[in-house]
Amino acid sequence: MLRAEIDGLNIELEEKISILDAAKKANINIPTLCYEDGLSIYGGCRLCVVEVEGEDLLKPACATEIEEGMKIKTHSKKVRDLRKNLFELIIATHNIDCQLNCLTCSRASNCELKDIAEDIGLSKMRLDPIKRGDSVDNSSYAVIREPEKCISCNRCIRKCEEVQGIGIFTTANRGPETVVTTFKDRGMGNVECTNCGQCILSCPTGALHELYQKESVLDILNDETKHVVVQTAPAVRVAISEPFSNQAGDISTGQLVTALKRLGFDAVFDTNFAADLTIMEEGTELIDRINNDGKLPLFTSCSPGWIKFIEHFYPEYLDNLSSAKSPQQMFGAVAKSYYAKEAGIDSDKIVVVSIMPCTAKKFEAKREEMAGDVDYVLTTRELASIIKSAGIDFLNLEESEYDELLGVSSGAADIFGTTGGVMEAALRTATELITGEELGKIEFEAVRGLEGIKKAEVEIGGLKLRAAVANGLGNARKVMEMIKDGEEFDFIEFMACPGGCMGGGGQPISSDKNVLEKRQQAIYKIDKSKKMRKSHENPYIKKLYDNYLEKPGSEIAHKLLHTKYKARKI
Amino acid sequence: MAQEKLYLKGDKLLDISNYEFKSIKNALRIGREKTIKKVKDSGLKGRGGAGFPTGIKWEMAAEVEGKEKYVVCNADEGEPGTFKDRYLLEERPLKVLEGIMLAAYAVGADKAYIYIRGEYSKSIEIFSEIIETAREKKILDANLFDSDFKLELKLIRGAGAYVCGDETSLINSIEGKRGRSRIKPPYPIEKGLFKQPTVVNNVESLCCAAEVLNPDSEEFSELGIKGSKGTKLLCLSGDLNKPGLYEVEFAQITLAEIIYDLGGGIKGNEDLRFVIPGGISTAVIKAEDLDFPYSYQAFEKRGSSLGSGAVIAVSKKHDLIDLMLNVSRFYMDETCGTCFPCREGNRQINKILNAFKEEDRKIETELISDIGNTIRLAARCGLGQSSLNFITSVIENYGKELKFGGKIYA
Repeated sequence: MLRAEIDGLNIELEEKISILDAAKKANINIPTLCYEDGLSIYGGCRLCVVEVEGEDLLKPACATEIEEGMKIKTHSKKVRDLRKNLFELIIATHNIDCQLNCLTCSRASNCELKDIAEDIGLSKMRLDPIKRGDSVDNSSYAVIREPEKCISCNRCIRKCEEVQGIGIFTTANRGPETVVTTFKDRGMGNVECTNCGQCILSCPTGALHELYQKESVLDILNDETKHVVVQTAPAVRVAISEPFSNQAGDISTGQLVTALKRLGFDAVFDTNFAADLTIMEEGTELIDRINNDGKLPLFTSCSPGWIKFIEHFYPEYLDNLSSAKSPQQMFGAVAKSYYAKEAGIDSDKIVVVSIMPCTAKKFEAKREEMAGDVDYVLTTRELASIIKSAGIDFLNLEESEYDELLGVSSGAADIFGTTGGVMEAALRTATELITGEELGKIEFEAVRGLEGIKKAEVEIGGLKLRAAVANGLGNARKVMEMIKDGEEFDFIEFMACPGGCMGGGGQPISSDKNVLEKRQQAIYKIDKSKKMRKSHENPYIKKLYDNYLEKPGSEIAHKLLHTKYKARKI
Repeated sequence: MAQEKLYLKGDKLLDISNYEFKSIKNALRIGREKTIKKVKDSGLKGRGGAGFPTGIKWEMAAEVEGKEKYVVCNADEGEPGTFKDRYLLEERPLKVLEGIMLAAYAVGADKAYIYIRGEYSKSIEIFSEIIETAREKKILDANLFDSDFKLELKLIRGAGAYVCGDETSLINSIEGKRGRSRIKPPYPIEKGLFKQPTVVNNVESLCCAAEVLNPDSEEFSELGIKGSKGTKLLCLSGDLNKPGLYEVEFAQITLAEIIYDLGGGIKGNEDLRFVIPGGISTAVIKAEDLDFPYSYQAFEKRGSSLGSGAVIAVSKKHDLIDLMLNVSRFYMDETCGTCFPCREGNRQINKILNAFKEEDRKIETELISDIGNTIRLAARCGLGQSSLNFITSVIENYGKELKFGGKIYA
């Protein structure tokens, strides 16, 4: 037992923890900036410094372990004054001015710096903003960097390196020229960036944000000659209300559909429909590979961040990837062919917009292999911003249903939005297709939850399927190394973002530590509430095959719904 | 007339065939524990600037368990005004080598590094040759004098960053990482180079340790006074008639004698304004306050430090704003850029000083004071913590005289 005193409160601790964590236990908030849960300690911003009795210099609470008998003051005058002075210095480098101001910032509504200013009681700003004159990095189809706003807190660097296992960012130069940049300053579009956008979620300054397509979409909605259809990814409906309500885990599918209709989309469809379709194609591919000694393990191909990752780092395994397009791309292909035919609309007039929890989807839509399927991709955040700017009172909207034909989906499609979901959806369908019998228990608990890597052996008929699920690219790399070391699997689900799509780089930035759990529970709840919970039971999928695609894996299905990959350099 | 005391300074020591390695032989004879005890009892403090007791460092390192242990000789002498380590590397490299061997033997390390400042081409050339000959002569890479002690020594050339004089930054640099300080704890003694227990000692400290163990200079440990033992190399520079390298016994000479006797007084007909006693990271001592014995504690009492031993005499002919700008520019450029107070604070100080105009004599001393405090109290390493010592001490001592507008630094 360890005893210490924080702000006059006696605390007892079982183990040595940081002063920051100990303070949290005592319900004391110490401001932090370069600190982020789940990342290594950086100790750069120094905002969390506290006074330790007997020491002249202040100690960073994040990096200092509490010692027996320590007497700590977290908010003494010395500390508070220092934090204010320090924050003035920090803000000066953030370059808030007329051109680069708070009103147009991607973090306008949830600025971490503003919160800190309030927490420390900042009352004056004596320093002029520093203009470095850095140019915007718009080399990427997915993520934009505005280095002028960057304060070099290092969170993006650590997120990319430690969580995603990639490391496209680095600190360059020294002294006042210290900057965060990419290798040789090449820009995010010219390095091994997977476009996952996790760095955006970590950036406290708005220096990183997605490539906006908001304005283009608003323009196209005003174009009378176009028939604009929209699809919404599974993970959007459990997060889109967060920017309006500031709470996580609410399901607002119906409001989402209403809002999109009000915005003027000609048809509101669901990526979930395409997720069911993906299961038919990918499931068929899996069964085919197993029965015909095809390349195993089969890797899922829904996550474009994961696809770019494997293309860069494990190109020798590209044949393991399912050739099935992702649901977003399948949807686009089907909308511009089958839907055009059924609705009697010229396919040239159809514009497909996607609402995605993902920044990598923006890149995916631009891939030459699938060009033209999807025209615009908006993140969940962008859609929230459009809804606000259209004056729509989102939380109080009546609920509506998706348009038929491409808008009906099973519960299996809903769980695509979380890690393990694609695997579970595939297992539901594969089991019934192989055994010909109805599943007893529909949930595959072994692949549920938020663990980084999940492994399961599933009995299907006489077959033992060795499955694995990885979320977060750092974990994807671990699984790839397991394979290299000889571990054997049959089917592996990979999702680039921690938690899967619901934790995607295009999702609202939440201050709720349990946001992933809450979104995941919401997704499971949607699935559970549905009568139809298996992809192959979706009557509209059956109709699509009967009327157009013939059968899963058919020639036309291959033409529309499958793709190729390419090795990329490191 | 004040006299030098010569131990570290002396004739060139470059010929390994004629060098007797008496100190390390002595250490091998008396064993590790007694070696450490001798250094501990000698009261030797680190000569790089921070002044941590060398013997205690060795003792702690000897006790820590590790797969491997390392000794690193810090020869990244970067403090402006300091050139004592260069002297030792170029003129007395065998003494340095012996010091490294002693430290390694004492703590149980069989691998050592010497990290030499990149600009010191001559030192690097000389020391590389010393290492090569030592290998040939089986002083390195072989069981030394038939003992079980064997040492590998590698020379690393620094890449020109001042911050790498900080021991944890230096360790990062050896590992090929960005030169930036590490968060302490863990201290290098627990987890240093390649995560192994590591002792980092300054060149002069190691030479002093060699003197402590040298049977020919047993009296070395008796020199000085409690808290300030042995001798100190001084790098005299600035407006002096006789700048150069001197060696003095602690507490047996005053700062005034150092300036006026050893340094030969101020050049030309100028008056001395102040002395920077230990490199530009130390607070100035006014010309009228020099009459005190040279010792760690005497400087501490005056809110300054003897630092690296770079004693810089500054006459009245210099413009104080120019001097402050010069120092400020140095720190602004040399901060590693990791911690916000040091990076941004030094940038802002430079901006404030640059904005000073002779006509209105306005300088935002309150702001300088706030920023100075912020850096000193919250910076991540010694570089930042001491970066404003010079500037704030100048404003404290001469703010009134300079008739700065605004609130005078208090």
